[in-house]
Amino acid sequence: MLLTLAFRNLWRNRRRTLLTLSAMVVSAALLILALGVFSGMFKDMLASATEQYYGHLVIARPEYHLRRDLFAHLPADIADQLPLENEAEITGKSPRLRSFGLLSRPETSQPVELLGIIPRMEQQVTSLQHQLTAGHYPTEEEHNGALIGQGLARKMKVKPGDEMVFVTQAADGSIGNDLLIVSGIFATGDSRHDNNLVLAPLPWLQQVLVLPGRIHEVAMVVADPMTAAQIADRLTAALPENIEVLDWGDLLPEMREVIAAYDVSRMIVVTILYLATGLGILNTFFMSVMERTREFGILMAQGMRPWTIRGLVLLETLLLGGLALVIGLLCGAILTLYMQQIGIDLSGYITSVTYAGGTILPRLHAVFEAGNFLVPAGMLLLVSLFAGFLPANRAARLDPVVAVRDI
Amino acid sequence: MSLIKLKNVSKIYRLGSQKIPALTDLSLVFDVGEFVVLAGPSGSGKTTALNLIGCLDRPTAGQVIIGDLDLQSASSRQLADFRLQHIGFIFQSYNLIPVLTAAENAEFTLMLQKVPKQIRRQRVSKLFAELGIDGLEGRRPADLSGGQQQRVAIARAMAAEPHVILADEPTANLDSHTAEELLELMRRLNREKGTTFIFSSHDDRVISQARRVIRLEDGHLAADITITA
Repeated sequence: MLLTLAFRNLWRNRRRTLLTLSAMVVSAALLILALGVFSGMFKDMLASATEQYYGHLVIARPEYHLRRDLFAHLPADIADQLPLENEAEITGKSPRLRSFGLLSRPETSQPVELLGIIPRMEQQVTSLQHQLTAGHYPTEEEHNGALIGQGLARKMKVKPGDEMVFVTQAADGSIGNDLLIVSGIFATGDSRHDNNLVLAPLPWLQQVLVLPGRIHEVAMVVADPMTAAQIADRLTAALPENIEVLDWGDLLPEMREVIAAYDVSRMIVVTILYLATGLGILNTFFMSVMERTREFGILMAQGMRPWTIRGLVLLETLLLGGLALVIGLLCGAILTLYMQQIGIDLSGYITSVTYAGGTILPRLHAVFEAGNFLVPAGMLLLVSLFAGFLPANRAARLDPVVAVRDI
Repeated sequence: MSLIKLKNVSKIYRLGSQKIPALTDLSLVFDVGEFVVLAGPSGSGKTTALNLIGCLDRPTAGQVIIGDLDLQSASSRQLADFRLQHIGFIFQSYNLIPVLTAAENAEFTLMLQKVPKQIRRQRVSKLFAELGIDGLEGRRPADLSGGQQQRVAIARAMAAEPHVILADEPTANLDSHTAEELLELMRRLNREKGTTFIFSSHDDRVISQARRVIRLEDGHLAADITITA
């Protein structure tokens, strides 16, 4: 009957309860939407950084990612020697050899970063094959086919089928150089890659660098990027000391910081928004308790204990919070679903922005993440409970003699 | 057999720095099954005495002993539990819970006592029939007349079968006919069930029904008259 009483008490002043409920629902739903959009933005940024270049995990010699030392190479079959089959999370791996040199044409030259790849395997890790603006992704049959960034192609004034010469220092001290033919041109929106990056077949680069059967790294992708650090720790433990596994957070520390800062800022936004909502709930229940002073006196006279009175008011706030939670989560899920499926295209107003190693795309879209629902839900119930506690305490501490006489 | 003892009880209320004596050195004994009226003008201490007997308040000096319970040494929780088990209240303004139906109002004390639902329903149905309000179980207080509301309030007070029912000016808001009817009803319950009724009133109709009239004036006992039939 206490639950019945609490529920009916909520609807004594229908308008006031509905207004408070609306405020709670709107704040929960909009918060879920906003967090979903933020998550979408960060997911895009992380994807742009990892799917265009790094991958989620990289196996290399210690400090290779800092020094890019030509001689810090590994056997090409290193990935086959690792217990990767135990890591079901790893969905793709690509052996790579890296070189920095000059790309030349009769009329111009540009400094470039050249990645020697096995096309079939690289396409499991990066998504440049989906960002082609001309030509095609190099195939394994093409001995010297190259994929180059759009900015670089523009500077070099090349198109698919054109020839270029790559010049670099080889591992034997000689000057390595050979001819490349443009197979395709990609555009990621990230100027660092579009103006600088070239992908060429691994055997071709091994030959130019005089590093047969050697690679510099194995880039890998995992199903959930957020588990990459744990997988890296597990793999590192299984590897010899002179090989390390880095996750995207090690390769892009600024990105990791941005995402950590997002988690903190999410809590701050939730706290500020719910502080205002909490004040609304507090006001509603204080009014409700004040109006019912005499009634609480009667309940006390009948033998209701102060703790039960406190429980009754808290039950009312929790019921309201629970109701707001269900409707708020539902509205939030519908809005998030809309923004996930359709989103808002802002490309007419803004362009892509490179930030913290990733690219912020000119679009608003949301993603579903459990945390974006659980945090607002948990906070809403917590705020309801806290906001209800003061009025509940007031009701429980009433002097029954005074309360019964209240008019 | 004495049920309630007030020994040299004084009650002083504080209003800022001012001390207002409501009861002074009052000693009374109430026996089981009495039908008593505390009479006197406004401000004579009737309601204060009822609050003390009802375990809602504690005396400033003296002793209030109800059954085995000494109010001075009892905790708030003990007082609440004692009220729940042994005391029923009837108020001048009925004071039913507006969001509960008549039956739910009457059942409320039994619910607090954790009496099973089926027994609650049975007991309340029987009481409603005895009080002549059967058929009104599902109505909210707002849909009942003053007399019907007060009958529901009596049912609420009686449902838990308390030893004492305290009624503060129970007829003040009722017309003469309804007031007489209800007084007769309470007399009958007193006779049939042996429940002790203690009223506070300055209504002559109530006083004329009592078997004992305790008259208070300015917080002092002015007269304690037992009326023999």
